[in-house]
Amino acid sequence: MVQSKNKTWFARILVFLSVIGPGIITGSVDNDAGGITTYSVAGAEYGYHLLWTLIPAFVVLLVVQEMNARMGIVTGKGLADLIRENFGVKVTFFIFLGLLVADIGNTTTEFAGVAGSLQIFGVSKYISVPVSAILVWLFVVKGNYRSAEKLFLIFSVFLFSYVVSALMAKPDWTHIGQAIVKPNIESNTKYIGMVIGMVGTTIAPWMQFYMQSAVIEKGIKIDEYKYALWDVVIGCIATIVVAFFIIIACGATLHTKGIVINDAADAAEALRPFAGIFASQLFAFGLFIASVFAATILPLATAFYICEAFGFEAGIDKKIKEAPEFYSFFTSIIIISVLIILIPNAPLIPITIWSQIINGILLPVVLISMMILVNKKEIMGAYVNSSIKNLIGWATIIVLLVLTTILTVEPFFN
Amino acid sequence: MQFISFYLSRIVNSRIFSKDYQVIGKLKDLAVTTDSRNPKVVLAKIMTRDGIKYIDWDQITVNKKDGKYHLLCRQLKEESLNDNLLLGKQLLDRQIIDINGRKVVRVNDIRLVVLSTGLFVVAVDIGTEGLLRRLGVAKPVAKLGIKLPAKLILWNDVEPVLAGDEKLVLTKTYNKLNTLHPSDLADIIEDFDTKTGMIIFSKLDNARSADVLEEMEEDAQVKMLENLETEKAADILEEMPADEVADILDGLSKYKAEELLSSMEKEASDEVRELMEYDEKLIGSMMSNEFIAFKSDETVQRVMESLREQKPEESLINYIYVVNNKNILIGKISLRDLVISQPNTTLKSIMHKDFIFMYDTDKIDEMIDMVSKYNLLAIPIVDKEMNLVGNVIGNDVIHELLKD
Repeated sequence: MVQSKNKTWFARILVFLSVIGPGIITGSVDNDAGGITTYSVAGAEYGYHLLWTLIPAFVVLLVVQEMNARMGIVTGKGLADLIRENFGVKVTFFIFLGLLVADIGNTTTEFAGVAGSLQIFGVSKYISVPVSAILVWLFVVKGNYRSAEKLFLIFSVFLFSYVVSALMAKPDWTHIGQAIVKPNIESNTKYIGMVIGMVGTTIAPWMQFYMQSAVIEKGIKIDEYKYALWDVVIGCIATIVVAFFIIIACGATLHTKGIVINDAADAAEALRPFAGIFASQLFAFGLFIASVFAATILPLATAFYICEAFGFEAGIDKKIKEAPEFYSFFTSIIIISVLIILIPNAPLIPITIWSQIINGILLPVVLISMMILVNKKEIMGAYVNSSIKNLIGWATIIVLLVLTTILTVEPFFN
Repeated sequence: MQFISFYLSRIVNSRIFSKDYQVIGKLKDLAVTTDSRNPKVVLAKIMTRDGIKYIDWDQITVNKKDGKYHLLCRQLKEESLNDNLLLGKQLLDRQIIDINGRKVVRVNDIRLVVLSTGLFVVAVDIGTEGLLRRLGVAKPVAKLGIKLPAKLILWNDVEPVLAGDEKLVLTKTYNKLNTLHPSDLADIIEDFDTKTGMIIFSKLDNARSADVLEEMEEDAQVKMLENLETEKAADILEEMPADEVADILDGLSKYKAEELLSSMEKEASDEVRELMEYDEKLIGSMMSNEFIAFKSDETVQRVMESLREQKPEESLINYIYVVNNKNILIGKISLRDLVISQPNTTLKSIMHKDFIFMYDTDKIDEMIDMVSKYNLLAIPIVDKEMNLVGNVIGNDVIHELLKD
C-alpha cells in the first residue's frame, strides 16, 4: 500500500511505541540480583579490566533475542509450545524440570537481593521479604498483562540509578577507555571464571521463553518486525549500559581501595565512605528494584511455560479458578524461595551455585532447540535463519557451550 | 476375534516383522484418512534400512504377547502419504479443541482400537497419566500405588486444528464447532496462537463469525480484523449490530477503520459512521439502531403479523415503540399489553404516553441510573426533535458496567 511507504516520522514513532516492551523488559530483568552481584564483584576485584567482556555479551544477547522475537512474531507460538510440538514430551519434560529447579534457586537469589538492599535502609529481612513477596503475589494475581507491562517498563527506567551512582564515584575515564580498547586479558582460572560468569549471567535460559511469549502477548505482526528489532536492540544496549556503570561504580571505588565484597548489597554498603551516602542508597535502590522486578517475572514466567508445555490453562489475565495449576506453580515458587531466605543461616551460596550450574546445562539445550526450530521451513516459512545468522548463532552456541561447560564443571574442582 | 485397543505411544518404535520373522523396520508414525467420521489408519510410516517408507496398514496385524505389541506385516506395499494425517506428527502434542469441555487442550496420547474393518482412532488422552506414559514411567508410578485419573476424550468430541502450511484441513468436521456457544468459541479462539485462531475463525460462516467476534475481548477483536482480508472482515462486520461495529472500529487505527467502512455496504457503514461521531461518554456512542417501531394507527393484529414475519431477537421484542407519521416517538407498548389486547384495537389506544426515554446526547451514566431505577428491559433514544434514533437494551447496559 502507498500509505506504508510514505509514513511520516511521527507515524513511525507511534508504531514503535506500540511495539516497544518485550525486548527492553527482558533486557532489564537480565540485570537481576544475580547479575548485579556478578558485575559488582567483577568491578571490585578487577576494576575496569573486565569491561571488554560486555562487547561479546552484547552480541550474544542480541543474536539470541532477535531469534526469539522473530519466532514469536512468525509462529505466534511460545517457545515452550514449539519445543513440545516438535521434540515431544521427553525433551520438554527435562527442560522444564531443570527450569523449575533453577528458577526456584534464581528467585531465592532475587529475594536475597530484596533483603540485602533494604537492609541498607535499615529494614529487617523478616519484614522486607514477606511484605515484598505478598505485594508481588497480589500484583500478579489481581493484575493484567497491560498494567504489568507498564510497571515493568517504569522499573527498567529506575535501573539507570546505577548511572548516577557510577558518576558520583568520579571514575577516571581515560583508564576506562584504555581498559576497553586494550584489554588486559589474564589466563588464570579465577579470571576466566569471572568472564564466564559475566557472559553467563547476561543470558539465562528462562529469558528466551519470556522474550518469545512477551512478543506474542503484544501481538506484534511481521510488518512491524523492524520496530520489534529496535526494541530488542535497545533492550540489549540498556542491559549492557547498566552493567557497564555497575562495574564502573565498583571499579572506581572498591577496587582502588582493595575492598573485597561477596554480593551486591555488600557493594552498596561499601560504596558509602567513597561515593557518599546518596550514591550508596541509589545503588541499593537499584538493587531493590531489580530484585523485585525479577522476583515477579521469574516465577510468573516459569509457571507460564510449564503450563503452556503441558496443556494447563495459564495466563495472568485468567482467574485462579480458571487456571489452578498456573497459580499453584506461581505461588509455590514464591513461597519456597521466601522460606529459604527466612531460614537462619540458609545455604545461599550453594543455592546460587547450583542454580547457575543447572542454568549452564539448560542453556545449550534450549539454544540448540531454538536453532533447529528457527531453521525449520514448515515453522518459519520464509523467515528461516539466513546463513549469516546461522553462522553467528552456532558460533555463539559453541562458545557458550565451552564457557558453560567450564563454568558448570569448575565448582567441582574448587 | 481378539479385541485389541492400545495407545499410540505403546506401538510407536515397535519393530515390524515380515512373515518369516525378519525385521523389516521400526514403526514411526501412523497416517489416518481424514474424510470419514472416524479416522481409519491407512498407512504406517516406518524406518527401514533404506530410509523412511509409507506402507499399507491393511497388511499389518497387531498382536499382544506378554504385555508387548508385535507388528506382523504380510506384504510390504509401499504407498505415498497423500492427504492423510500423520497422528504422531500432526496430532500428538498439539492443541485441540475439547468440544464438551469447551476449551483448548493438548494431546498427550492417542487411543486406537482394532475393529473388524480396521484400526481406528477412538479417543485422545489429555491427562497426566498420558504424560507419564510418554515419559515411560506410568507403570512404575502406578505400582507405587499412586492413582492418576485417565482423561480421555472421545474422538467425536474433539476438534483437531491443523495450522500453517500443512495443506490438510478437516473441513467436514468443522461443523462440530457449530455446537458451541459463540462466547465459548470466542474463548477457545483466543486461547490459541493468533495464526491458529485465525484458521478456526475463517472457517466459520459470516453470520457465525459475527456472533463470535462480538463475544471476543477488545484486543482479540482488533487482532482478528487486522489479520483478516478486508473484504471478509467487511462482510462479517455487516452482520453485526452497528453499535458493536462502532465500538470495535474505535480500537483500530483510523486508516484501517476507514478501509473497512468503505468496503462495507453503504447502508451498514453509514449507520456505523453516525454512531462513531458521538463522544464515548454519550448514549449515542453505545445505542443500537435495532428496535421495533410501528405507526400509531396500526392495529394490534397487523403488528402481530408483522412481528411473526420479522422474527425479531428476544432482547428487542420486549417493547414496541410507537411513532407518528414524522417518526416522532409518541408512545411505548410492552409485549404483554400487545398480546392481551383485542386484534382490532389500534396502537394509539393501548400505548403508554407517559414513558421513560432519553436523548442521544445524554450521558451513559445517567441512562444506567434510569434503567436500574425503573427496571427497564430497554430504553428508547431520541434526538433533540424527538425523532426515534436508537435503542439501548439491558444487556448492553450490563456490558457497559462490566467494562470498567
